Amino acid sequence: MRIGIDVGGTHTDAVILDDQTVMASTKVLTSQNVKDGVINALDEVLGESGIDCHAIDAVMIGTTQFTNAVVQRRELAPTAIIRIALPSGEMIPPMLDWPDDIADELGRHIYMIHGGQTYDGFPIAPLQDNEIDAAADDIVAKGVRLVAVVGVFSPSDPTQEQYVAARIKARHPELRVTLSHSIGRMGILERENAALLNASLLPLADKVVSSFASALQERDIECPFYISQNDGTLMSADFAAEFPALTFASGPTNSLRGASLLTQLDNAVVVDIGGTTSDIGVLQDGFPRQSNIAIEVGGVRTNFRMPDIQAIGLGGGSLVKDGGATIGPQSVGYRLVEDGLVFGGDTLTATDVLVASGKALIGDKARVADLDATVIKTATDKMHSIIDNGIDQMKSSRDPVPVILVGGGAVLVSESLKSAAEIHRPEHSGVANAIGAANAQVGAERERIVSYRSVPRDEVIEEISSLLTADLIRAGADPKTVRIADIEETAISYMADDSTKIRVKLVGDLLLSKSGER
Amino acid sequence: MSIRITHEDIADLCKGSVFLATGGGGDPYVSQILVEKIVEKHGPVDLVSLADVPDDAFVVAIGEVGAPSVSLEQLPIGTECLDVVDRFEAWVGKKITHLVSFEVGGANSVIPLIAATTKKIPLIDGDGMARALPEAQMMTFAIEGVRPTPAVAVDYTGGAVYFDTEDTSIYERQIRNIAMAMGGMVFTAESPMTAAEARRAVVPGTISFALELGRMLTANFGNSVHVEKPLRELFDRSDYGILKHLYTGKIVDINRKVVGGFDVGEAIVESLGNDMPPLTLAIKNEFLVATVGDKVVASVPDLITIVDHETSSPINAERIHYGQRVTVFGIGCPPHYRTERALKVVAPRAFGFDFDYRPIESL
Repeated sequence: MRIGIDVGGTHTDAVILDDQTVMASTKVLTSQNVKDGVINALDEVLGESGIDCHAIDAVMIGTTQFTNAVVQRRELAPTAIIRIALPSGEMIPPMLDWPDDIADELGRHIYMIHGGQTYDGFPIAPLQDNEIDAAADDIVAKGVRLVAVVGVFSPSDPTQEQYVAARIKARHPELRVTLSHSIGRMGILERENAALLNASLLPLADKVVSSFASALQERDIECPFYISQNDGTLMSADFAAEFPALTFASGPTNSLRGASLLTQLDNAVVVDIGGTTSDIGVLQDGFPRQSNIAIEVGGVRTNFRMPDIQAIGLGGGSLVKDGGATIGPQSVGYRLVEDGLVFGGDTLTATDVLVASGKALIGDKARVADLDATVIKTATDKMHSIIDNGIDQMKSSRDPVPVILVGGGAVLVSESLKSAAEIHRPEHSGVANAIGAANAQVGAERERIVSYRSVPRDEVIEEISSLLTADLIRAGADPKTVRIADIEETAISYMADDSTKIRVKLVGDLLLSKSGER
Repeated sequence: MSIRITHEDIADLCKGSVFLATGGGGDPYVSQILVEKIVEKHGPVDLVSLADVPDDAFVVAIGEVGAPSVSLEQLPIGTECLDVVDRFEAWVGKKITHLVSFEVGGANSVIPLIAATTKKIPLIDGDGMARALPEAQMMTFAIEGVRPTPAVAVDYTGGAVYFDTEDTSIYERQIRNIAMAMGGMVFTAESPMTAAEARRAVVPGTISFALELGRMLTANFGNSVHVEKPLRELFDRSDYGILKHLYTGKIVDINRKVVGGFDVGEAIVESLGNDMPPLTLAIKNEFLVATVGDKVVASVPDLITIVDHETSSPINAERIHYGQRVTVFGIGCPPHYRTERALKVVAPRAFGFDFDYRPIESL
């Protein structure tokens, strides 16, 4: 059996799953120190189900702690950046476009050295050991212990990043290093930013990961535990402690994965309707479709693997105006239970319209008995058309698709949707995140620019796949289950006809220490 | 009236230039932050109108050539623009008196500002395309008979190559191959012109127009239904002459592949109420032809621009995907591209289409 835990900013959710059966679920408040909230959630689900803690084979945890740290500029440690690129990029130094508050938090410890390579692997300039050593000495002299290292085209060839890391760690063993190629893809500024954020989160990662570990230990749960990352796959606890930034946006991802598991659908649109907004995402082969634009985290541009989520301003607390013709984006939010008409307030909300239409019984129905039938009809149609349009923009073909409704506001959809081939409303959708976390796989991807004229396509894929297999085994995967999940090729405009950007992703099941699972 | 460009204008200039890039030009983000920084340090740039260029002027075009996706990984030094000017002057043995951009569409709208502000060389308000186009012989400079060389290309490590070629099509082959051999992206100084040549070959006012357009889009951020009127008024007053709403709908298909070093493909937009046949866009880096049913509604050298329906932000061809709600505008090209000589190299037939160019206002 597995336990899935979702540690959000407000709530910590937990579920116990026996294969795909939900044995117990709970929602408790997140504690300041993280650990107590996790312990409370564990006590609830173990107590409710009466399951022996030794019967648990694995624990999977999703968390927004690291995203929140970046957004709120807290617990970010001073961090240095070594960029291997000179003479290129000389006038575009690292952190040039960062918001001042977060750049100051990390300290602007910037070191630019000679090196890097062109798209076809030719050196830009030779690496110079004296430059590397001088940077390392200065970093240590300033009392900084965390370093991000980025090199031009390192996703194609990480050798220089690895050389620099090995050299500075040999000289100053107290330094902790994040290499950009291990965390980001093509696009040096975004990848550099990702490496910087990751390195500055390392001390917090130690704290959070060890508080998860000690919560489990205090409840005698001795099985391995994993942290879920933003693309719906898992990392081992050790890996997460090295790459905390990979958890950014794991929340919506787990919600999509959970919706897939609760319905057994691999291809569908998922609509998570909350109090103020609805998040619409797309499941492709059981995983969230990823966004292809640069994503800002706390005002810093990154190119993390993030699910493609469209947020629309419709939820249970959305204000209804203009005789029902306008709904949202303003919302009473969490004050719905005070301000909504059916709760005794005096604001007309989407929930009030739903109750008035007779499609749901929430609060005091008598308080909306006088609502005009035309308003009810207009507003109900408007809500459905807002959601319909949102789904239509997200789905990947013009045919109607299966739609999964989750979240507290899912009841707002009381009629059929044009864009939906069928509508699913799974049980336990309130803890979809924790269910998604409990079922995540391990995955890894790499990207490079290649010329099929010099190396045949099959060989390129084979070589990348073998590197990825090693990555996956390191992340806890069972080698027997590793498979290619995706190959994406993009021809590069203006360059030779056979210059191609190829991205390969592999996934595999977790190797669990006990038998009987998966 | 002289137009002054400050560092605070760069974002708007980039936005306007993406609109004029008709789907091409690439993401100008790296150039934008570099140029913002340099102009903030060295001061605003006053644009010189063509009429104010003195008769003894020596005008040279500068900009970047290559693969935009490469420049997102290998950043420029930031001084290439200055280096290319120094090398050009040393080689030709003559001081450049005025700089001009060769392409207002995309990053090349702002790149020349680096040399203009740092070296205090006046920058002409105009360019060699009034939009973005894929090849050198399609520039108005070449069309008006300006020799493409002497030209210098500087790469991202400071290395340089010198060109001395009569024919622009041959120069295009050379510079394309050199760009690939030198890391994928080069800065060039090319097409030296006398004042008389510049007055004939440069499309006037395009840089200040791109800035005005960007400012307008920033001020009117919102649904394209509301932005259309101010857009139309702006283009009516310009050399472009006309902006037409061609279509509003949803992208239902997009396919692209690389043919001969270019992104070639097709996008299909379907109307929201299904009350019109779909609009089809032919793409070669830029949007070339828009067809509704079997009727051509706009074609190169007129401009075709796609904006996000909700925000009116222009969308590059590489960022189009299924499901986007878009509005398609057609825009007239300046008179420079309507001559018989120009149409030989930029009309639909020059791109392999089997029909003649008809100006957008007659369609």
